[in-house]
Amino acid sequence: MKTAVEKPAKSGNPLTGARRGFGRAMDRVRDRWADAPWWQRWTVYVLLIGLALILPSDFFASFMSPHTHWPSLLFNPIGVYILLAVGLNIVVGHAGLLDLGFVAFYAIGAYNMALIGTKFGWNFWAILPIGILMTAVSGIILGAPTLRLRGDYLAIVTLGFGEIVRIIAENTDAIGASRGITNIPHPPNMFGLEFLLDPLPYYYLLVGVVVAVIIFARRLERSRVGRAWTAIREDEDAAEIMGVPTFKFKLLAFFIGAMIGGLTGVVWASKVIAIQPANFPFILSATILAAVVLGGSGNLPGVMVGAFLIAWLPERFRGLADYRILAFGAALVIMMALRPEGLLPSRQRKAELSEGSGTEASAEVGK
Amino acid sequence: MLLEISDMRVHYGKIEALKGISLEVDEGEIVTLIGANGAGKTTTLKTISGLRPVSSGSIRFQGKNITKVPGHKRVLLGIGQSPEGRGVFPGMTVHENLLMGAYARKGDLSKDLEEVYGLFPRLAERKTQFGGTMSGGEQQMVAIGRALMTKPRVLLLDEPSMGLAPLLVAQIFDIIREINRRGTTVLLVEQNASQALQLAHRAYVLETGQVLKSAPAADLLNDPEVRAAYLGGDLGQPEEETSETG
Repeated sequence: MKTAVEKPAKSGNPLTGARRGFGRAMDRVRDRWADAPWWQRWTVYVLLIGLALILPSDFFASFMSPHTHWPSLLFNPIGVYILLAVGLNIVVGHAGLLDLGFVAFYAIGAYNMALIGTKFGWNFWAILPIGILMTAVSGIILGAPTLRLRGDYLAIVTLGFGEIVRIIAENTDAIGASRGITNIPHPPNMFGLEFLLDPLPYYYLLVGVVVAVIIFARRLERSRVGRAWTAIREDEDAAEIMGVPTFKFKLLAFFIGAMIGGLTGVVWASKVIAIQPANFPFILSATILAAVVLGGSGNLPGVMVGAFLIAWLPERFRGLADYRILAFGAALVIMMALRPEGLLPSRQRKAELSEGSGTEASAEVGK
Repeated sequence: MLLEISDMRVHYGKIEALKGISLEVDEGEIVTLIGANGAGKTTTLKTISGLRPVSSGSIRFQGKNITKVPGHKRVLLGIGQSPEGRGVFPGMTVHENLLMGAYARKGDLSKDLEEVYGLFPRLAERKTQFGGTMSGGEQQMVAIGRALMTKPRVLLLDEPSMGLAPLLVAQIFDIIREINRRGTTVLLVEQNASQALQLAHRAYVLETGQVLKSAPAADLLNDPEVRAAYLGGDLGQPEEETSETG
């Protein structure tokens, strides 16, 4: 009887060998990590947060970003993409709902910050919960009528939603039409950080937000809700007949994904002073989705690495001038060709993708 | 009557898949639905478990009308299903799959788990293996075991023999008999008509969305019409009917 573990035949191709070697090494790291005692994990968490805090220093800037202002880059696109990817990962990676209009939630968050900030002069911290709530509600408004659709059909409807939000913003004079909104207030100073034009304080704010969102996402993933999402992603009908209210949980995934998208929008808008509808094109939804898939859909560290690479590589290649997008595209193609399940797939996801390999009848005669 | 379906119609878009089906399942029985591809067997089960909406007609369970009750709530009432194509969660281990069966209820599960592992010792050996990497027969065991974890009053089984070698089919059917002996009512959908008729107490023959015949299973085994249509006619004995191997 074969035990169905991936043990591919030896290949003569050195590239294949290297790829499998990398895969095995990553698997070992992941399994080690899964068994690590709590103090080891916490040490690594603290070290990672420490690294995030010293990341904007000149030392890192010298090799990470020789062409662009590194702290600016760390806030947007890197930090923003990471946060958006963590949000989209809940919808796509956990619940398995293909959402091509995620940028809409980012836009709604940003417009909430801009509108309430300029019209009523509210403080960033007061707008934050309102912005999150409004985007969450918009997630429900999008989800309630459309979540009866599955797969490709859902993707098309969400794509339409993303475009509708942008086009409404472009054509509504009350929110500045295509000129957008200017003079958005900055967050108030705190802990000796002055929120003005220097990107550093915003970066630290974003690090705090990312850490909070990761803790939240992790806890959800490990809860009953996370298990329901996994079941829905893997087989929706089977989930329903196990007693999982599938519609409710899919709606919840949209709700929470939208919240994180909106949160990102609020934080981003508080820095940039002016926003326009053109800041929220479809290609941004597609880019974030690429980050999730590239990193390893469903696996939080993978998704963050994916978002980091997607945001960072085009800037790193800036020295190549016009060829940088070509180099970026080539890098994506190579990475996906070598690691089709994503750079750091979860163990679970790998098993899902290998489904069917064990269903041949050959294995069951000899018993 | 434990389960009572009267004049149930189901549509897929404009196509009427079930054209007024009525059937009854009594406490403690094994009832089987046989019929050709497209007869509406799977649709009937899916509609009973709530995965397909009813266009007209009614489903009553333990005397209560459940026609409008959503699928995830029917589980709690006692309708457990092992779906078509098994529907095992590929990225969950065997153990996690079984626990999903108990998702909707609270309380101590150790006794129920023990019972399922007792029925399927093979699953006990493979608790930590991912569902997606198991063989077809093992996946079928997971699907049945998972349905048992919902503590069903009636267990709906959709083609448990599909894609399995004959030896394994016999083993799965033995287990179904044992499950029934322990007190669970079984509604079984099968293409493998001869095996199903030997196992069941009563049977319904479905054809293009209608009930063609219903009778005690033993009678249908000897019914010339049924033999000609579903049991290979006079060409072979029912015992020699081979299962479709995948």
